[in-house]
Amino acid sequence: MMANVVRRTVVRRVPWAITAGLIAACLFPANGQTSSKERIKAFAKLPDWSGIWELDAFVGQADGQQFSAEGQRRLKEYATALRPSFTSEYQAKYDAIRKSIEAAIAADPDHPPVTHDPLCAPPPFPATSTPGMYQWRVTPEETTFISTVGAVRHIYTDGRSHPPKDELWPTLMGDSVGHWEGDTLVVDTISTRKRLYMGELSGFFVPTSDQLHFTERIRMVSHDQMQIDYTVEDPVALTEPIRATIVQVRVTDFSRMVEETDCEQNERDPVVNGRFKTVVK
Amino acid sequence: MRSPFRISLVVVLALMGNPAVAHHSRSMFDQTKQITLVGTVKEFQWTNPHCWIQVLVPDPGNPGAEPVEWGIEMGAPVELMRKGWKPGSLNPSDKVTIVVNPLRDGQHGGLVLSVTGPDGKIIGRPAETAR
Repeated sequence: MMANVVRRTVVRRVPWAITAGLIAACLFPANGQTSSKERIKAFAKLPDWSGIWELDAFVGQADGQQFSAEGQRRLKEYATALRPSFTSEYQAKYDAIRKSIEAAIAADPDHPPVTHDPLCAPPPFPATSTPGMYQWRVTPEETTFISTVGAVRHIYTDGRSHPPKDELWPTLMGDSVGHWEGDTLVVDTISTRKRLYMGELSGFFVPTSDQLHFTERIRMVSHDQMQIDYTVEDPVALTEPIRATIVQVRVTDFSRMVEETDCEQNERDPVVNGRFKTVVK
Repeated sequence: MRSPFRISLVVVLALMGNPAVAHHSRSMFDQTKQITLVGTVKEFQWTNPHCWIQVLVPDPGNPGAEPVEWGIEMGAPVELMRKGWKPGSLNPSDKVTIVVNPLRDGQHGGLVLSVTGPDGKIIGRPAETAR
């Protein structure tokens, strides 16, 4: 009789014990994993940077990619703010690059020389002011910057440091770690490529050393504006840091990120002997 | 000149002295000249890295002659859609008027400044410099 009572009690309680165990496993998982509840709390502390963004200077471009008057004004402001002050050694390098490109243009002004490589590859660091559209994916562990022209940047915010020196080498996006100061993401980047790209605009590169160090302070200053404050330091190439502010604005006339890098689809400005030769039909 | 991309931070530096240039060199086009082409669409290529309009342009002074085919370079599809274009905005045989900066090397090609469609209305967003 007594044995039957015990058995019934146990049988009744087992399902409850299993249920309680499952709940506990979800709330307090082993091995340091974050529970769903904790993760939701971590997300809730982060700013909402959802949406699609672009550089303010590109707003209002025409069908042939001509800048608007306002876009040109903004670009002039950027150019002034971003002008580097080279050391004599790096000024000489820059002048040499510039002269060789100018000579190539003068030799055949009808067919511009190719001055960067590779074409149609993802734009290099920092990639936050390229043509195209951008997304910022904010998670507790990482903020990811994605652009429609192929750039992807991983900014780790899980408390890690840069890898040790013997595990670093110059890469397209370098190595970025970040932390949050309120709603501002502070990003520290090292180990980018030594020679910085200056674009098809004039085809020039900025020579820099392996001491190049970028700091970015990224903040959504209003619903429609993202602001990035740059500090570019390079004690070997620059006599003083470059400081500038880039503004991205919310894209309101398009709601999809569409990859734009498949240039082989219809390349009609092919490179022949180092120069662009447009194919008209 | 192909890519729809890249102005990185430092790229913007390069704008000094030439801020009117877009994300790639357009110096193969003569931006001091504008030509108006009146013709019919042969093909509208909605492609990366650039969309193109192939247009057949008759010579008004010589109506019996074969029309000349011109290739007109535009922006990338996404950029154009944001300005009001769609893949079906132009179709073969459509009558169009297109203003371009011509190629410097004398080939029959140009960079689009404005496109007027068969209904007489401008399609997309013309350049502010278009006459």
